[in-house]
Amino acid sequence: MEMLLMGLCMSVFGLGVAALAFGAATRSESSDSAVQPELPLVKAVAPARFFSDRVPVPPAVLPRQVPIEVLLLQIENHVRLEQAAAESFVEFPTHALLHSKTTSPFVN
Amino acid sequence: MTHELLNGLSSAEVEGVLALGTRLIVPAGTSLFRLGSPADRLFLTERGRIRLTLPMQVRGHEEDILVEERSPGQTVGWSALIPPYRFTLTATAPLETEVIALPRESLREHFAAHPAVGYKIALNLAVVIGHRLQLFQTMWVREMQRAVEVRSA
Repeated sequence: MEMLLMGLCMSVFGLGVAALAFGAATRSESSDSAVQPELPLVKAVAPARFFSDRVPVPPAVLPRQVPIEVLLLQIENHVRLEQAAAESFVEFPTHALLHSKTTSPFVN
Repeated sequence: MTHELLNGLSSAEVEGVLALGTRLIVPAGTSLFRLGSPADRLFLTERGRIRLTLPMQVRGHEEDILVEERSPGQTVGWSALIPPYRFTLTATAPLETEVIALPRESLREHFAAHPAVGYKIALNLAVVIGHRLQLFQTMWVREMQRAVEVRSA
């Protein structure tokens, strides 16, 4: 009889410990769910760029890759091409010649 | 050598105008005139080439950017005949270049004495200035079109 009562007490104690553990686990889950709204912030930091051909590149980085001498030659080449295009328009003014394309790297 | 500024003049008239000038050799890399300086002479290009440039900031440095090039037969420095008589560009010879410098005062006196010559030269000058205006308004519209496309993209 004493053994039966001892077993019963141990079972009740074990049940209490299990209930406390369950309660603690349930509280931590609810507190995690309170943090959930911050998830969009993480998305904002790293936007998905799938299927996008416009990859933002810092503008200050690209020009630095071209030596100044090359850049000046490109500017001069651009001026010559634009002047040639303008000459063509002045010779024979049409809408198409006014906005004709050139091979200048500044506009391509 | 046929000069655009002297189109339509007789040989005697051309000789009369050229007699007012002085032949100058501009060594390679030397400026003929600089932006903002007083313009008291205009130049007829005889040989070589003249680069007309304007200053532009490129990566924090001022650089002379090519605006136009003048070759033999073409006129440089017509600001000498147009108030306020200051050069609006810098002219440099990229290679040894020969020009005929025509002083404004000598030209004025010659035009007063020979109005028919002055009239023909004034018409030729209008063609030179008008052509540049047409070129640059075209180039300006092309750049504006691109600026609009970039802003609306």
